[in-house]
Amino acid sequence: MITNAKEDITDGEEYLLLIEFVHRHLGFHDAELESILEMSGIKLGVDCHYKALPNTDTDSNKFSIYTDAEGKLGTKKIDLVTSLARCTLIRSVIEIWGLGSTIEDCVKVTKDENFQKRHQRGKHLGDAATKYEDRTFKVTIHTLGSTYTREEQNDMRSQFSFLDFPGAVQMKNPDDEYLFIREVELDDKGGAIYPRHSGENREIIPENDARPPLGCYFGRVLGVGRNWRGSGRLEQYSLKKRAYLGPTSMDSELSLIMTNLAQVKKGSFAFDPFVGTGSILLTTALRGAYAFGTDIDLRVLRGRSQTENIVSNFSQYGLPPPELVRSDNAIYHRHFRQHLPLFDAIVTDPPYGIRAGARKSGSRKDEVRPVLDEHRHDHIAQTRPYVVSDVMSDLLNVAAMTLRMGGRLCYVIPSMQDFNESEDLPRHDCLRLVSVCYQPLQTELGRRTVTMEKVREYEEDKRDEYVKNTWANGPESADKVANIREKLIEAAKKKPDYEEKAAIRKQKRKATKLAKQKAKREAREAK
Amino acid sequence: MRLLTHNFLQSNVRGTEKGYPLNIEVTTIKYEESPVDKEFLLNLLPKVNYNALVAAVKQMSPHCEQPLPELPETMDVSNAEQNQNLDDATISNLHKVLFDVYLVEGWLICPDTGRKFPVKECIPNMILHEDEI
Repeated sequence: MITNAKEDITDGEEYLLLIEFVHRHLGFHDAELESILEMSGIKLGVDCHYKALPNTDTDSNKFSIYTDAEGKLGTKKIDLVTSLARCTLIRSVIEIWGLGSTIEDCVKVTKDENFQKRHQRGKHLGDAATKYEDRTFKVTIHTLGSTYTREEQNDMRSQFSFLDFPGAVQMKNPDDEYLFIREVELDDKGGAIYPRHSGENREIIPENDARPPLGCYFGRVLGVGRNWRGSGRLEQYSLKKRAYLGPTSMDSELSLIMTNLAQVKKGSFAFDPFVGTGSILLTTALRGAYAFGTDIDLRVLRGRSQTENIVSNFSQYGLPPPELVRSDNAIYHRHFRQHLPLFDAIVTDPPYGIRAGARKSGSRKDEVRPVLDEHRHDHIAQTRPYVVSDVMSDLLNVAAMTLRMGGRLCYVIPSMQDFNESEDLPRHDCLRLVSVCYQPLQTELGRRTVTMEKVREYEEDKRDEYVKNTWANGPESADKVANIREKLIEAAKKKPDYEEKAAIRKQKRKATKLAKQKAKREAREAK
Repeated sequence: MRLLTHNFLQSNVRGTEKGYPLNIEVTTIKYEESPVDKEFLLNLLPKVNYNALVAAVKQMSPHCEQPLPELPETMDVSNAEQNQNLDDATISNLHKVLFDVYLVEGWLICPDTGRKFPVKECIPNMILHEDEI
């Protein structure tokens, strides 16, 4: 593989990058990257393509080659880095100088002329940049999945000392940063499969230590000073920092990924028909979108108080207030003027009844009693349960109707193990499936983030047909996403010790209740 | 509620022939200036119903401390290419009325049936009563 790579590189034609991902949301790496590349006008397979790593059975890092036919490497390269900076799951991007199964191989390749001359010519230096002789630098070591002491890391560093950088070493804000990555096999929780240290005494396990790494890579970091993930870039948006939250608020990392999947950018018109506490809508606004949200529940839209509501969460980040309307997505077409495709992106987490049940307008009873005129002004409109299959068919239909051509719908759908991705996902004649990212939550339960793109004009008179075709297998598919809460309880009941654990929980609840009552009584007596 | 949203909202209680545009009854109003995003505005403009916007501005303007900018009585905004020729003053005026003025408290009234939809804390409540669906 390495020799192949070497042969491929004829100078000035190809440019090799290694994209280092964080070991989180494994199912989302490719989809997010591809969405961002497409959004930036970079065509995967034309402008750039993937190249397998020396050991290909890993998904954690991507080896990518950038082809440049017109020799415009300089400018296009910068474009790539700037756009990749949006990817939530990228840890760093390096220009590959060397790679191999072991550090020795990696050093060998780095010494190779083809890789080295790129550096010697100072290709990455613009005219205005500091002279190569004066550039400060540092060499960073990432040992993914194992820990090495400072001395051991220094040993690794010294292997590359033949590069003999003329500038001074500077740890803070150097002109150039070089990165050595040593990667071992990780399990899906991010721990090493063969850990270098034992869990208890932190002693080195010799046979694991002797195992060859998955791969070693060395290169120059692109976008020095662009802290890809650290220093609170994500932390500042953490849900914990928000004044107003609900039980179904979407975590900020996934929301940000969703805005990337939906290609939300500055000047986009973004819509969330199940806005809730506005957690997803907020991230679309962070991307510079004009944010519009509706919900049937007026209480979540208003929030708890003047300082704890959706608008206050927006102003916390200096964002302009979103537009909020209480309306019912089941009858979107009756609340809003029949008009042209309006939105660039719809990003939403529909109600599936796991934590919050869905409601739609309508009488609770079959027979509708008219509202008396004298009661009309303060009448509270009745709502009734909204079954998940309808929630989804309405959502897809509203998306098909209101998205501009090429606009994207990104939504979350939970399901149990029996869910078959190719058959059971809801579909619509006007929408093309772009990507599905799976995220396991529990042994039985997982959720998928689905991205669709509008590819065909919506025709109003086909509405019934569209809605009817949502579920390929009819009620059977629809049933798989419905009643998840009940299914979870069913599954829990089958586990051993369920009865005992349930009894313990019951006791705990009772104790808490009594304690509360007691506290209340004491407070009253104290008065 | 900004006037942009008003431009898209309609009343559709049972028996309504044409619940658009909604009349505005103002209780409180808010004006908050925001930076003009010309590209976004031009993108959106062909989708705006201009007559409804002019009518809404007329209903809002008397309640504003400073009167809202006057818009030409008629204008064809449906052609995106033609809109590129709009001068900066017109763009700025359109931005002001579409994005910077908010109906905080008040009512939206269906022109056909007279059904009143309340607006509270900037949030219009468009939910239909169970016998109106």
